[in-house]
Amino acid sequence: MTDHKHYYQAMFLLDNQEVRQKGFNEVRDWVRRTLEKHAISVPVLRLWGEREMTYRVGTRGRATYLLGWLEAAGNSINEAKRELYLVGPVFRCLFLEEAAIPEDELALGIPAIADHELVIPEEGAETDDESDDFSAREEEKVAVGSEEENDG
Amino acid sequence: MAKKESRHFDFKDVEGLQVYMTSQGLLLPAKRSGLNAREQRRLKRAIKQARFLALLPYTA
Repeated sequence: MTDHKHYYQAMFLLDNQEVRQKGFNEVRDWVRRTLEKHAISVPVLRLWGEREMTYRVGTRGRATYLLGWLEAAGNSINEAKRELYLVGPVFRCLFLEEAAIPEDELALGIPAIADHELVIPEEGAETDDESDDFSAREEEKVAVGSEEENDG
Repeated sequence: MAKKESRHFDFKDVEGLQVYMTSQGLLLPAKRSGLNAREQRRLKRAIKQARFLALLPYTA
């Protein structure tokens, strides 16, 4: 195996439920420890955002996106990816080889996020609204139907 | 004459990628995007990466 180092940009999709339970900093540290276990150097690992996904992945409609810039050698990325998918809060990840780590990204490093800075909306919030709308529409239909019966 | 710089596409730039997609979530052909072959390949790759990360839809 070659010892030649490569630079990678990585994006991790984190399960919102676990981020909410354990806290973002702990989940991020778990990802960092897992990568470092496979001899991957992690100079940058930061929150990219929490957003709604354009399609559902399993039962999840939203995810917390974690962006990292890594330095790794040989087959370590594949080994780390295998472990990330097997256990832990990461349900999807992407590694892209890059020529170098940008200076502005290196300056960010691994910042800690205060708990109040990352607000994760409840997953079922939208569906509850939809069900309310549905039940309201059903009630309207019933009311209209009963009026028609009365007219007839 | 100065050589025109080739465009790069980033999978994180969702709004920038959506410019080159139809309302149904499909990639515009090179004829309509106005990109050269290399740029079109870069765009295709970035869109596929964004789709994998659920930043862009496969179909709309």
